[in-house]
Amino acid sequence: MIRKQFIANIVGSIILFLFIIGVDANAQCLSFAKKVGKPKLGNFVHDGNYNATTLGAGETAELYKTFFKGQKYRIAVSKIDNLPEIHFRVVNEDNKTLFDNKDHDYTDVWDFSVETTQTLVVKIKVLDDYNTNELNSTNGCVCVLFGIEKNK
Amino acid sequence: MRKTFNQVSKLFFVFTLISLLAASCASDGKKSAKSEEEKIIESAQDVDPKMVEDFNKSKLIFYSLPSPLETAMLIKRSGARYDEQILNPTENVTNYNTNLKMALNLGIYSADLSYTSLFDQTQSAIKYMACAKKMAEGLSILDAIDESTIKKLEDNMNNRDAVMEIISETFMNSNAYLKENDRPAISVMVLVGGWVEGLYLATTLTNGSMDNNQRLVDRIIYQKLSLITVLNLLESYSDNEDIDYLQQKIGELKSIFEEIKIVNTSKVEAETDSENKITTIKADSETHMSKEVFDKLLQKVAEIRAEFIS
Repeated sequence: MIRKQFIANIVGSIILFLFIIGVDANAQCLSFAKKVGKPKLGNFVHDGNYNATTLGAGETAELYKTFFKGQKYRIAVSKIDNLPEIHFRVVNEDNKTLFDNKDHDYTDVWDFSVETTQTLVVKIKVLDDYNTNELNSTNGCVCVLFGIEKNK
Repeated sequence: MRKTFNQVSKLFFVFTLISLLAASCASDGKKSAKSEEEKIIESAQDVDPKMVEDFNKSKLIFYSLPSPLETAMLIKRSGARYDEQILNPTENVTNYNTNLKMALNLGIYSADLSYTSLFDQTQSAIKYMACAKKMAEGLSILDAIDESTIKKLEDNMNNRDAVMEIISETFMNSNAYLKENDRPAISVMVLVGGWVEGLYLATTLTNGSMDNNQRLVDRIIYQKLSLITVLNLLESYSDNEDIDYLQQKIGELKSIFEEIKIVNTSKVEAETDSENKITTIKADSETHMSKEVFDKLLQKVAEIRAEFIS
């Protein structure tokens, strides 16, 4: 009976500890998006969508968004300092690359406008980190925010 | 005996901690560390690298719908007018008691708030912010919209840029809170509510005419592309009863949008201006929507929206 109680207490503590750690890490990602991501949008207004997650070296994500004719967009990609550079490409539905930040020194901010409304995909990849092994590789917040040029 | 038990307890503690930490670090959205699929890919040494790359394609996918703010900007830019009569009355706010209704109407009131703000209707904007706050509270979304948000809005009544920043921030806070507290299905319901309201405002502002404001009609036609995003978003959480209901409703819209044609008439080309850090994506397309389909769409959007705000 005492053993069961003891084990239950340990498991309970672990779950509580992990919950606190998890919530805190997530809150840090939102805070990171606000403090690091949003300022990169400059005088474009953030659309309000929250696209952020935790990624590690070599990991990828993709984001589907409809770009409307007549609207000018700014994409800002941010990552924590410890992560390698982010490689991002903008492709259309036929997977044709329309922009590749590798050709622009892995820039993290770029503007886009479209002459016809279309859905584009932003493909991002955290570059591989060959200096660390898998055991001590870093994971951290990555966010992709969209800004819209304000109405004049 | 007692000593052995303590040692076993310690080992159990360490083992559980390591296992749970490893699991916790690995789980994120649709990602999974070393899935069976990845193990198979890793074990295949002599396969085509391109194939491996394809297999390794992103496990984490985001679908970004036009936010209520973006939709309001699109409506404003099309030259549409302001009409307060078409918004969801603020008195309705007390009618919403279920998670589904509160989530949908958080999206709807956010869209109305964005629309009123862009047309500089500040008093109405404050009322709609209060409605959004009530919905967020009902959904236990902590700190997304509080008294200080309303105060900030009041203090910046004459500064449209600041007002837009406040709206954008509150929307991101709600969105992030729901996603990061394991309630992404509710977050999707908020987005769908906002999207349907944007579509309702746009269709209603045409006054049933396809000729009065061609730019606005164009915006409506191209929501066909956003509809695919909406459906993909809903598909991700289809094990939820409320999401099933929304899938059915959006499915009804889909069957009408399928009668609208969007045809690409040229190749897509990108022109990059490195100095000004801008890429223009050039392409032409043609659209076709009959008056009959337009009327059906208007009617269906109004019907769904009426159900959402009831």
